[in-house]
Amino acid sequence: MKACAAALLVCVAACGQGKAIFNVDVYSYMAGTGKDTIQYFIPPATSDSASTVLKVSLPPGFGSSSVDSVKITTGNADLLNAGGTGSIGFSLYFAADSAGTYTAPAALSIPSTAVSGPDTVAVAITGDLSGIVDSLFKQNVLWVRIQAKGTNGGATLVSGKGVLTALLIRVVLQDKVF
Amino acid sequence: MRIGVVAFALVLLVLAPVRAAHAQFSFDARRFGMGGVSLGRDGSVSRFNPAYRAVKKRSGLNGAPKISIPIPLGLVDFLQQHPLGRLRYDPMFNPDSAGFNPIALMNLITSPPIFYDLKKPPAPTNDVEFTIGKNAFVMDLGQAQVLIPEQEFGLGSTSRVLDIPGPGFAGFHAGVMWFLNYDIGMTLDDSLRRVLKEADSVRANSVYSVRADALGQSGIAPTLSYSGRLTHGAGGADSSDDGVYLGGAAHYYLGAGYARGQGPAGFVTGTPVFGTAPTPLLDDTVWTSNKAFATGFGGDVGVAWISGPFEVGFGVNDIGATLSWSDTKVQRFRYFSAGDSLSTELVANHVPTRTKLPITYVANSAIRMGTGTTVGGDVVNSGRGTVIHVGVEQRYTVFAIRGGVSRDQRKHMQFGFGGGLRFGGLGLDVGFWTHSPSLSEKRAMTMATSISIY
Repeated sequence: MKACAAALLVCVAACGQGKAIFNVDVYSYMAGTGKDTIQYFIPPATSDSASTVLKVSLPPGFGSSSVDSVKITTGNADLLNAGGTGSIGFSLYFAADSAGTYTAPAALSIPSTAVSGPDTVAVAITGDLSGIVDSLFKQNVLWVRIQAKGTNGGATLVSGKGVLTALLIRVVLQDKVF
Repeated sequence: MRIGVVAFALVLLVLAPVRAAHAQFSFDARRFGMGGVSLGRDGSVSRFNPAYRAVKKRSGLNGAPKISIPIPLGLVDFLQQHPLGRLRYDPMFNPDSAGFNPIALMNLITSPPIFYDLKKPPAPTNDVEFTIGKNAFVMDLGQAQVLIPEQEFGLGSTSRVLDIPGPGFAGFHAGVMWFLNYDIGMTLDDSLRRVLKEADSVRANSVYSVRADALGQSGIAPTLSYSGRLTHGAGGADSSDDGVYLGGAAHYYLGAGYARGQGPAGFVTGTPVFGTAPTPLLDDTVWTSNKAFATGFGGDVGVAWISGPFEVGFGVNDIGATLSWSDTKVQRFRYFSAGDSLSTELVANHVPTRTKLPITYVANSAIRMGTGTTVGGDVVNSGRGTVIHVGVEQRYTVFAIRGGVSRDQRKHMQFGFGGGLRFGGLGLDVGFWTHSPSLSEKRAMTMATSISIY
């Protein structure tokens, strides 16, 4: 595997002191699997959360590289609210394994968006993750948990689903393949 | 891994100067100052054109030295920066080092540090951008895309490392030469070329490979040559060199050893592209000689015409040079993903095989004017593209200034200039020339220095 990675990525070394920039299309790992959708049901006068977890494979061989920056450059979700009035926010957690995403601190929290009645509300998910999850992006595999967290201050159930439509993470490395 | 890289690099470093020597014919700073041109009679073109052996050696032919001794300032500088005792830990040869850059290593191999580099061959640096999805992998190499060849690429040369003249009479000469031929060619398959050159996405269940064909062979060749003067100038045989000269040489090649490897190396993607490990692809056939002394015949022919200050020559080398190796081993190396193993299979042993030496063409011309001006040009093709040199020298008493241009194997224009000082039988020459390393479009500049004995 290492030989394969080296062959595939020898061109990275060819850029000498240049940088290796990775645009990781996280959404592509979710699309069509159902993991791009988080159902929410928030009883009156409570807060609740629901999550989706997925594994993202990265090119191997960057273990000795140093990470310059990690940013979500493109991220979009639609809140398809079926009923009730409340607010829904998103948090992203990154870890080296599935269980770790439940213990890691949130790498990014998107402020809550108000929803009311049957409606579709677009939410932008962007932010700078640099310094928080750098080391994870040097590994072959990382896990991402996207959590939808909602509050319901009303008297009726808030229900609906959050559907991710795009999530692109840009990682800039000082490359060192071998 | 480290030892392998160091060993491979050092072997190539040893071979590379031979290639440079062949391309430029010598390590003479005068030659480099004139853009690499070989000036017929006073160059070393006689090694490649047997007709020149019939031309009388005249010392002091417009400032031509008897011997040029290179001053390897570059080698001294290189060994200071890269001590031999620490090569294994040297970032240049150590892939585990953060300072390791394979392009810089390849530049070193293709531009050996015999002479002092004023402007080192640049290792390309730029950002490389990847887009990774579940079923997509796009590599945008940016400016480094220019390094990805469209067609087969490689390096190769046939060198006459030593040409030892023996006794002769009536135009016939016997001698022995040591030949060295190597040729390494690589071709990217269409899918890999699109990925690297056009930033096309790596696709699921697809093959991406490089096909390599590398050959190396060396040996000696006892040679019997004839060269003679067909016509004389108006003043008779001894008054001048004027006339037409013909020459031919028959070589009986005795191969010392050879090896050849051929086949693809690459990988096959799974589904999805990321999430399944690509399977390495390796299915290569390697031929190696079990015994030395392959035999074969080949020949050179040449013609030269000298008229007053003007001369022109044309030589063809290694015509029909096919070596028959009587005892060869053929092995097949394959990678099997099941078990993650590399298998070696003996396909055949003690079987005969044949190899060829590529034909080399050399054409040259020069004119020596009475005013101390010498102008020359040559064209060389040794199977890996045509190289052209044109140069001029002007002498003023003890001073000489020189300049020249050349077109290298990759059709890049290169430039040379320099000068010299001569005091009696001793001279010092300095030549500057540009050259483009194999994996770079930019030019480097090197200063050659040599001592001339007249």
